[in-house]
Amino acid sequence: MVLALGAMAARGQGVSSAAQKRQLVKTDAVTYLFPEQVSVPAGKPSQVALHFRVAPGLHINSHTPADEFLIPTTFSIPEGSGVRLENATYPAGTVMALTIDPTIKLSVYTGEFIIQARLVATSGDHLVEGKLRYQACDNNACMPPKTITVAIDVIGK
Amino acid sequence: MRSIPVRRNTLVLGATLLILAIFAWAGWANWEYRRQQAERLLANTGQGELAPAPDAGSAQYVSPLNGKPAPAFALEDLNGKKVSLADLKGKAVMINFWATWCGPCRIETPWIVELRQKYAAQGFEVLGVDTEGDDLKKDDKAGWAKATTAAGKFVAEEKVPYTVLLDGDSISRDYGGLDDLPASFFVDRKGVIVAAQVGLTSEQDIESKIQKALNH
Repeated sequence: MVLALGAMAARGQGVSSAAQKRQLVKTDAVTYLFPEQVSVPAGKPSQVALHFRVAPGLHINSHTPADEFLIPTTFSIPEGSGVRLENATYPAGTVMALTIDPTIKLSVYTGEFIIQARLVATSGDHLVEGKLRYQACDNNACMPPKTITVAIDVIGK
Repeated sequence: MRSIPVRRNTLVLGATLLILAIFAWAGWANWEYRRQQAERLLANTGQGELAPAPDAGSAQYVSPLNGKPAPAFALEDLNGKKVSLADLKGKAVMINFWATWCGPCRIETPWIVELRQKYAAQGFEVLGVDTEGDDLKKDDKAGWAKATTAAGKFVAEEKVPYTVLLDGDSISRDYGGLDDLPASFFVDRKGVIVAAQVGLTSEQDIESKIQKALNH
């Protein structure tokens, strides 16, 4: 267990008082950027690049976190929307070391990241409410896992 | 006829300004294009860089619950036994909200285990409150079972000697909402909250707050 291994090394090292002074983040850690609308050939799998941004100072686990206890970032589309998610390709996470113990390595997304979604749409206009589940932290604290809606107008032609 | 040179000068000046404006626009467009390309490249290669943690530059975190009686609660532990805060009346208590998915929580757990052993004889106890299933729906039995299993596994791996309670989310509102973990509240022997912390600090900081709870 990677994190536990680092605990002994971190013991006694004072985390900067920033942990006590930090401003609690009340906003969404992740924002969906674009596209708001896509046109795809009806019935055929089509690749759509979904752009997201993680708020400054925060990170979220990648799709393949470094530890079994950590919550991966996942994208899904509920059934019955007229659009099926055939598969999703996630970017590789950035390897990040915790300030308190550089031996603890995490696999995270920061800044802008892109999920390549392979969509199959039936003919017509579909307002899809995709779901992105993630769990965000900064260097000293973590926010509960959250699921945000990814609204995309998918036009199957 | 004298107005012709003036008109020509105006035309030359206008043309010059237009050319300068085109150059300025082209420069800006080029810079913007390169900036966007760089952002895309950064995103695609997964080489994002961490920005400094937000820092309000304010005073040390002070809970609005400081100086007030700790909100009462009764939750089930990992074995299904109901445990309440009132059961520990007369002891100094650290109420530690945590979750297995919270890296900083897991870093501080060995510190808490050690400090609990150090101060237990003086009347100190810890209640770990797991908030594992924050976004789980009440009827998501599989999700709750998985969360409980994860909590139990972690407690076993870390050899946590104190009571760990489940479903911390049900009492989190009473303790200020708990948007961030770890979050701990230090309760004196009379049941009053004397200190709190949000986020990872240090073993020394936790110890000083335990001493405050014991000696208040």
